[in-house]
Amino acid sequence: MNRSWSPQRVATGVVLAGWAALFWFVLLTGRTPLYLSSRTAWVAPLGAILLTAAAGGRLLSARVRRPAGLGRGTAWRLGFLALPVVVLLVLPPTTLGSYAASRRSLVGGAFGASARDVSTGEVTLQDVAAAIWSPEAAEALTKRAGSRVSFVGIVVHREGMPADEFLLTRFIMTCCVADALSVQVRVVGAPPGKFTEDQWVRVAGTFYPLGREVIVQASEVVGVPRPARPYLQV
Amino acid sequence: MDLIGTVRPEAPGRTAGPAPRSWPIVLFVVLALGAASLVVRWAASSRFPQVDNFFLVFGSLLMEAFPFVVLGALVSALIEVFVPVRVFERLARLPGFLQVPAAGLGGFAFPVCECGSVPVARRLVVKGLRPSAAVTFMLAAPILNPVVLGATAIAYRGRELMWAMVLGRAILGLLAAMAVGWVVGRRSREDLLGKGRAHDHGEVEPGERRWSAFSGQMAGDLVMLGRYLVVGAAVAAALQTFLPQSFLGGLAGTPVLNLVALMTLAAVLSLCSESDAFVAASFVQFGPAAQLAFLVFGPMIDAKLVLLYSGAFGRAFTRTTAIVAAAVTLVGALWLEVLIG
Repeated sequence: MNRSWSPQRVATGVVLAGWAALFWFVLLTGRTPLYLSSRTAWVAPLGAILLTAAAGGRLLSARVRRPAGLGRGTAWRLGFLALPVVVLLVLPPTTLGSYAASRRSLVGGAFGASARDVSTGEVTLQDVAAAIWSPEAAEALTKRAGSRVSFVGIVVHREGMPADEFLLTRFIMTCCVADALSVQVRVVGAPPGKFTEDQWVRVAGTFYPLGREVIVQASEVVGVPRPARPYLQV
Repeated sequence: MDLIGTVRPEAPGRTAGPAPRSWPIVLFVVLALGAASLVVRWAASSRFPQVDNFFLVFGSLLMEAFPFVVLGALVSALIEVFVPVRVFERLARLPGFLQVPAAGLGGFAFPVCECGSVPVARRLVVKGLRPSAAVTFMLAAPILNPVVLGATAIAYRGRELMWAMVLGRAILGLLAAMAVGWVVGRRSREDLLGKGRAHDHGEVEPGERRWSAFSGQMAGDLVMLGRYLVVGAAVAAALQTFLPQSFLGGLAGTPVLNLVALMTLAAVLSLCSESDAFVAASFVQFGPAAQLAFLVFGPMIDAKLVLLYSGAFGRAFTRTTAIVAAAVTLVGALWLEVLIG
């Protein structure tokens, strides 16, 4: 019996190919760190390869003896499955910002404070996060008050803050953006009005841990491009 | 319109002849997708930070979970096409009281997230495994697998309660999964899968070659569960965007309600079971019992899983699973609260 193309199979194959294209796009444009941490980044190539194979398999077996037409309901359902592909492909690359910072504050994070030796080496925002959670890490950090630091993050203003202050904010993720939590340090002595909300900056200065808050007396604040890995990792 | 209902399988015995014209509806759907993309692009141009936030969380949940659904669909198709029915008939002959715990412990050997275990469990039921065993496996695997328990140990390392949290998560997770399995096991296979779906053949014609049947099964599972995952990820992203994580913080010191609060939060956040321990450990104002409730309940019930379960097994199953899992988790966590405070 002659074989002909099954519209339903072709449509399914095209939608799966769209999903594969999304994963390849994210991989090839270097956008994986915008969604996934380095410990889960391997799922992106896995998804790309498996979806390519799934789409190829469906399209290669799309010629059948008794082709089924593509009903209206099935077409809409497949269109619905394709919707996230279209949406994620057209969205500009972006990261969590000040809106998320107010909702994802680090009430204390499991950032391996016991393993991380806060007392030596360069002070990082991970150290600050560890100090919020662990009293031992906080004590170690307190001993380093007055050290020179250099942090990169986004500018977040809160109501009532003096004009020369802002919260330097960075998000720390474990697996993906859904689990990201913000760590913040209060920057004082910044040039008033020079930096806009959500702008990426590098702050150099002297840091002073005060209880659960860390203050950085800025000696230099400069705008920088968004880092290739905008989220810190656990 | 039911956008997430089942794609009709290519029914055997369909009459030969010209297929109905498909291009007008395809064109209409493509135009609708184009319009949707323009609206999203306009809304996301920093006009509304909520829109950016929503799509970032939505995208990251899909990027992380979709490959696991693909993997689950792949395993499901392998089981359907390449594992002989007699294997499942042999398993089904094992005594019932052994099947459920064995299926739960089988979760140790299946290191995937919760999204991947759903299509596998569904296929196991279709192939004839007892529903109680398949459901127990589905709920236990995302909690008991070595990657998840290892991540839990890392998240709690340096704390006195590290082993209590790791073992508590494994034991309570296994008990809750078995309890749901036993309750759900009273239903028949047809009840669980829905009439007409108990002999699901995906997008497969009778007499197709094996690789073609494999491709059809995989595509069928993927298309069905993928849509539920999209809706679940959207719900989770909306909850994360519009509900601040501190919204339940006021209940931290209230007995029982503190457990309910973190179980609710686990369902809202819809985190992957491999990362949730790091988030749970950060809720320092809540006690270890509440954190354990978060770790046990989250991988069994969350916004995206509710949609996936509904697609695979129906709403009644989802309701039962939510109630039993919540009850067992709550009782177990209360015991822990009494024991260790």
